Amino acid sequence: MSGAADREPVFATRQSLGLMKSKLKGAQVGHDLLKRKSEALTKRFRDITRRIDEAKRKMGRVMQIAAFSLAEVSYAIGGAGIGYQIQESVKSAKLRVRTKQENVSGVFLPQFESFQTEGGSDFAMTGLGKGGQQVQRCRETYTRAVETLVELASLQTAFVILDEVIKVVNRRVNAIEHVIIPRTENTIKYINSELDELDREEFFRLKKVSGKKERAAAAEEVKRQAANKAGTDKENEIDEHSVERHDVLGDQDNEDVIF
Amino acid sequence: MELQLQTVHSSTSPNLYRAISPSSITFSMSEGLFYNVANGYVEGIIRGYRNTLLTGQQYGNLTQCENIDDVKLQLGPAYGDFLAALPPNPPTSALADKALDKLVAEFRYIQANATGSLAKFMEYLTYGYMIDNVALLITGTLHERDTRELLERCHPLGWFETMPVLCVATNIEELYNSVLIETPLAPYFKGSLSHQDLDELNIEIIRNTLYKNYLEDFYNWVNTHPEVAGTPTAEVMSEALEFEADRRSINITLNSFGTELSKQDRKKLYPNFGKLHPEGTLMLSRAEDPEGVRIAVDGVHDYRTFFDATGMGQSGGSGVGNMAGGAGDEGKSLEDMFYQKEVEISKLAFTRQFTHAVVYAWVKLKEQEIRNITWIAECIAQNQKDRIGNYISVF
Repeated sequence: MSGAADREPVFATRQSLGLMKSKLKGAQVGHDLLKRKSEALTKRFRDITRRIDEAKRKMGRVMQIAAFSLAEVSYAIGGAGIGYQIQESVKSAKLRVRTKQENVSGVFLPQFESFQTEGGSDFAMTGLGKGGQQVQRCRETYTRAVETLVELASLQTAFVILDEVIKVVNRRVNAIEHVIIPRTENTIKYINSELDELDREEFFRLKKVSGKKERAAAAEEVKRQAANKAGTDKENEIDEHSVERHDVLGDQDNEDVIF
Repeated sequence: MELQLQTVHSSTSPNLYRAISPSSITFSMSEGLFYNVANGYVEGIIRGYRNTLLTGQQYGNLTQCENIDDVKLQLGPAYGDFLAALPPNPPTSALADKALDKLVAEFRYIQANATGSLAKFMEYLTYGYMIDNVALLITGTLHERDTRELLERCHPLGWFETMPVLCVATNIEELYNSVLIETPLAPYFKGSLSHQDLDELNIEIIRNTLYKNYLEDFYNWVNTHPEVAGTPTAEVMSEALEFEADRRSINITLNSFGTELSKQDRKKLYPNFGKLHPEGTLMLSRAEDPEGVRIAVDGVHDYRTFFDATGMGQSGGSGVGNMAGGAGDEGKSLEDMFYQKEVEISKLAFTRQFTHAVVYAWVKLKEQEIRNITWIAECIAQNQKDRIGNYISVF
């Protein structure tokens, strides 16, 4: 942890603090969610791994039986050449694969599903003279083998996709946990400290200002009081004069009537 | 000719066949005297070949092998040079191909030495394979493939000179009108298949129609050809061909269940001879399930035994094919039984002398041997030794 250095380049303002705080919160929620997703995927992944193991073992057995039933066919028919006849008489695929999607915590996994089309096989009559039953049984065995392969194929695809997705998710989880959250926290800490610093500066400045103001006010007060004192004496004199004069004037008014 | 023989015999060893009726002696002795003039060498060679067939002991050794190389080694004395070119641990198909090569080479040698009726007889043997090849080429032409590639896939025994010409045809009408007519199989097409049929019918129906015609023709030939009729050849071959016909009828019936092959069409594929003909085939044509087949073949002891042994047509009737997909504990299946029977007929053919049938028997035995080798090799290659003992050995 490079401490204070590892933070986002923001100005330490209250607005960015709010931003960072919401970002931190978002990161934590996201981290929780991703962690949960990763766990769900991993669970699924383990399940699929187990099923792949089973399917592969099954495939081994089934393919062996299928290969053996082909050997039976060649024994019954008495030689090769049957393969070509069958290839030529087949017109359309009887066993087909359709795909659908399965959603596992936001990951779309393709699922292959094999199904048989309607109607009998195109080469139902192959080996009519001899070996026909073996041919049909071989066909059934291989149908089973292909079904197993299709099952395995969808598992394998899911395996690969899940593997990729789990890697990405784990990377994200780790990135959030070890990079984004500490960095945001650092940024918040930095902003807080900066803001505190500013606060303190401001406080100090205010204090200074108010001190200055107080001093100024005090000086003013003193001056004013001093002025006040002086002013009162003079006023008193003036008042006396004005009162006399007033009286005089009032008297004068009355006397002016003659005019 | 018989008169002359009679005199020859009576003059040479008059008291040798006192107990036997004169006419039959005349017959067998006439065979005995004249067969070897033309075909003695070939028969001797065939009997030599028969002695090189793998025995139960050798099969026992083969089943003990751990890998294909061991199999190759075990086959060394019997197949020698033919396996030498194989790479180490060859695929089983390559092994089978090489084994087949040996059969073909020997067959060609015999064919080159055969004259007269034996030559014709051997031609007949190849027709069965020709039908397969022609069916293959027709399939290729129908789907507009390059049929030249198909020539490699053809069975070498069914090779005939005009076969590459089949590849020239690009559409089915041309194939029918100008090419198939020139093949040895033309008579089998004539009358039963038109060129529209080639286009519309399933190739399997064409194949089986041809095969039916072929079997009937062959059967007719062994029973009417002046040099063959009435000889042990006719006797042995009739039995073998009747069995083949019955086997095809039964197989076609069993294999047609659940397909679009109608009963009428099915009936047309049954050869018109054999132990099952005509009542059995009529019942077969009406059969709807393995149970029906069982009832149809009830009249023939051998086949009834097969059905009883495989338990077919009784409870579920699952064991139709060979080895029945089970672990071998349910015994042999119907097709195993048929192969077994075929091999036994072939084996018995060697007890007869002065007959072309040994060639047929040898080819069948050799084919079974190749199948056995392939089977054993396949079992070893696939590590499925629990069913390795399903081969058929009679010696």
